[in-house]
Amino acid sequence: MNPVLRTQGLSKSYGSRPALTDVTLTVPAGRVVGLVGPNGAGKSTLLNLAAGMITPTAGTIEVLGSRPAADAAQLARIGFVAQDTPVYAGLTVADHLQLGRRLNPGWDDALAEGRVAQVGLDPAQKAGRLSGGQRAQLALTIAAAKRPELLIFDEPVASLDPLARRAFLQSLMEFVAELEVGVILSSHLLSDLERVCDHLIVLTAARVQLAGDVDDLLAAHYRLVAARGDLDLLPPGVEVIQAEHTDRQSTLIVHDTLGALPGISVEAERIGLEDMVLAYLTRAALGAVGGFTPQTLEAHR
Amino acid sequence: MIWLTWRQFRGQALVALVALGALAIYLVILGLQLRGAYDTNVGCTGCSAGTGAQLLKDKYFSALLLTGFLIILIPAVIGAFWGAPLIARELEAGTHRLVWNQSITRTRWLAVKLSFVTLAALAFTGILSLLFTWAASPYDRAINDRFDPLFFPTRNLAPLGYAVFAVVAGITIGLLTKRTVIAMAVTLAVFTAIQILMPTVIRPHLAGAVTENVQFTAGGAHGMWLDQTGRVSVDGYDVPGAWMLTSEAILVDSTGGQPGKAVTEACFNGDFEKDKACLEALNLHSVLTYQPADRYWTFQWLEFGIYLLLALLLAGYAFWRIPRGLS
Repeated sequence: MNPVLRTQGLSKSYGSRPALTDVTLTVPAGRVVGLVGPNGAGKSTLLNLAAGMITPTAGTIEVLGSRPAADAAQLARIGFVAQDTPVYAGLTVADHLQLGRRLNPGWDDALAEGRVAQVGLDPAQKAGRLSGGQRAQLALTIAAAKRPELLIFDEPVASLDPLARRAFLQSLMEFVAELEVGVILSSHLLSDLERVCDHLIVLTAARVQLAGDVDDLLAAHYRLVAARGDLDLLPPGVEVIQAEHTDRQSTLIVHDTLGALPGISVEAERIGLEDMVLAYLTRAALGAVGGFTPQTLEAHR
Repeated sequence: MIWLTWRQFRGQALVALVALGALAIYLVILGLQLRGAYDTNVGCTGCSAGTGAQLLKDKYFSALLLTGFLIILIPAVIGAFWGAPLIARELEAGTHRLVWNQSITRTRWLAVKLSFVTLAALAFTGILSLLFTWAASPYDRAINDRFDPLFFPTRNLAPLGYAVFAVVAGITIGLLTKRTVIAMAVTLAVFTAIQILMPTVIRPHLAGAVTENVQFTAGGAHGMWLDQTGRVSVDGYDVPGAWMLTSEAILVDSTGGQPGKAVTEACFNGDFEKDKACLEALNLHSVLTYQPADRYWTFQWLEFGIYLLLALLLAGYAFWRIPRGLS
């Protein structure tokens, strides 16, 4: 089975401003992929590249084994819901379903009509008068009823209130279970993603900081607490992500790339997803202002 | 995709149909009136065709000129209101991100939208051009100045070329500017600029103009003017049905130069007939350049073809651009 997403040296820049720099990723099939990072990190750029809305400046990207938006068949395999869930303001909900029916050979009418009824959308209503939550549900319905192999959502819940946010993610998970469809969704909030994703990509400042299955990532990250100086020498394969020092004590968050850490004598404590992601985001933020860089941390090993 | 294009276009189509209906009624009435006037003044037995034609011209010149302007204006309006928003509005509202992710390539999306609206523009302008050509035909038969730049673009094939060009230019400019209002303004500006360049710079040279020396005769001149340098210009040397490129006939002598100021001034004494005879005795002629009447249809086809070619180039660019992403 082809990987859902495979990129090699993928870069995109707008003029001289890099939006995505040298991303090399492989996301295996059958995952719900969360793409997390602060605003402006390049999440939209990556997803738009995956949907073929834009073309890379350098590098390659393959989605489900093919070039994005290469032809109608490839377009049929991917359901992309762009940021702010665009709909035609002048067309009714029913018109949107008609649009989906006419433009997608694999259109699932029963699914579409069922969803619209279930979430309580009035088919005669103009899409421009829907609330943000309703619009997101309509966009989700159109994307899902074309029966793609992969659904891609760009910040689907960013503009929704907490209730609509929950309802949307609920709907999404129902689709995933019902349709056996792969999903990639992005958010600047980890809390939106952590309940639904089993694969995580952390993106900051146009670069991938971390990518992998959530279980594997959690199994390889530890918090080490010890007296100051005891942690100056770490075994090979242990990368320091974040380090905090007081006068007497050091706290490190480390990535144990070889699985060697539990064998040594320091206090190694498992950490949660949020702490782990925060450590990476902090490292990237500090790196950006010239504080800690991965290179200076290497020296601590 | 045709359904979606129609669904998005039907509001504009309805407005256009109402406008088309009103204009068609007006053109039919104009045509019937002109026919009546032609039968009374020109086609009548025993009356002077020359005088009748002049009467017809006095009465209908302004109406036909203004209606003709309307016929040229319509492609511009179509380009700005149908062409320019077609893609620009999608890009502005972000809805291209919805429709480009259905199971249809962008190329096909553009092809259907572009063809649909271009054909609609062609049909709309075609009906109006046909009606106006019919309405003006008695006038053209009597006065025969349809080759004149004021009338040439308003009849037969030329308006169809303008319509195709304006719509495709609007679409492509919309794709480039990504802003509806800007695209509309740029489309109007481009269309106007080309409509000015065409008759002044390009159309006169589509075929080598005919140059003819016309001997000055007392019988041929309807009027003549003497200016302060002694130059005499003569009215009445129009070649029937031709597009005159020399706006006035200047009298020159056998060497091709202007006769001396004293020579011509001596002939102007206030009596038109005597003055003409005096000038005739000087053995003067004028040099006329023009596109002869039998080139009218060649020029109509060339005009249509040039605008069609421009439209094809612009469409080619749009089709090259659209699969490559927008930024």
